[in-house]
Amino acid sequence: MISVDEELISHMSNPNNYGRLEEADSIGIGENPQNGEKVIIYLEVVKKDNDYFIQNIAFEAIACMTTVVAGSIITNEAKGITFSKAEELIAVTLGMLEHVEPEQAACSEMVAVALKAAMDGFLRSIKSGKKETLIYKIEQSCSPELEFNANKEQK
Amino acid sequence: MKNILVKTHEAWLVTLMASFMAKDCESKRALNDFSDILFRHFTWIERELIKNGIEYDYNRDQIPIKVDRLKVITNNIIERLNAIELMLPQLSSELSFRMSKDFDYIKFVLSKMPDEEVSAFNASRKYKDYNLTQEATDALTLFLFEESYKEYELIMIYNYLKAHSNDDFLNKIFQILVDESFFHLKSFGEMMAQMGILGVPRVIHKSLYQVEDVVQFLKDGIEEELAAKEQCKELSDAVAKDSEDLAKFFDFINYQENYHIELMKDALKHYESKGV
Repeated sequence: MISVDEELISHMSNPNNYGRLEEADSIGIGENPQNGEKVIIYLEVVKKDNDYFIQNIAFEAIACMTTVVAGSIITNEAKGITFSKAEELIAVTLGMLEHVEPEQAACSEMVAVALKAAMDGFLRSIKSGKKETLIYKIEQSCSPELEFNANKEQK
Repeated sequence: MKNILVKTHEAWLVTLMASFMAKDCESKRALNDFSDILFRHFTWIERELIKNGIEYDYNRDQIPIKVDRLKVITNNIIERLNAIELMLPQLSSELSFRMSKDFDYIKFVLSKMPDEEVSAFNASRKYKDYNLTQEATDALTLFLFEESYKEYELIMIYNYLKAHSNDDFLNKIFQILVDESFFHLKSFGEMMAQMGILGVPRVIHKSLYQVEDVVQFLKDGIEEELAAKEQCKELSDAVAKDSEDLAKFFDFINYQENYHIELMKDALKHYESKGV
């Protein structure tokens, strides 16, 4: 069982960045195909120098409290960093999960792949000129299966 | 008009949380009654939105409730009611009049409510005088956060289904399930406040209540109730050696789930037979 401390209580009682961004530049979804649980990440992005920068981030979870805690922590880390740094954050998060029980790993993995989906969706929309919501399904590896869904959750 | 639903939703939740924080019995009772009234306002506003063909959802802002004095939260409720009052002309005159008069009385009582220190956020994680082991305390903490959200979610889901159904049989079932979840949310909220870990349940994603396939939703719901029963049983076992009272409480909650499952099965049968 997870050990409970004041920090964990704080994430559970008042998760950081919980909710949605009405003016999001991109939305990405991480989904657990085994039970239908989902994490939705909303990003507001600005371009700085030659990189994109996560100006604001929010998430919603249709999932258990562990996922909410993971969302609270990971979105806090991602706020205010460049896409390159966020890619590193995702890689580190997924790498750490190799040593975690599969059920608990799935919660953080869902948040990480949702962030990846939101970033990839943003980059695709730059090329296509059309907003696209990507859904990445989790698995116990670092190469999420891609499912393209252009209509759902589209703004 | 949608905004008044959002603001009433928020005022209801703040008042409910304040009722959990209050230690004085009279203040607690009054705040709980007022939260019930505000929830009823919420459902009546929702009915007017539906009648007028206005689309809406249950999205709302995060609600900060961490205070050290009860007066701070009662003043916040008064401010919220004042803000809603400015929007009342958007509603039918009958509902607007009713809410306005309710607000007058609620604000009058809140302004006179005795102040007290709030300990609902001190993270003591001590419940009554029970000596729970660290493992049992952690299990109870996680359970309360998970299940208080779940009960709030169920209230909103069944309320939404009821608001959008004209079937008397189903509506009776949905109302019972709403009432039952209110009791559970109240029980868990009171425990969280006593343990110093009170938190407002997070916002529900609209896909959870704007249900496209009600039959599948009920089937999944029955599975979830069975899982909740199992969690209650596990928690009861975890705390049994430290507290007979707590173990009995979780057994009591566990057995209540049996009836919910039967009601959901009835609703499922009804949906399937009538193709509602």
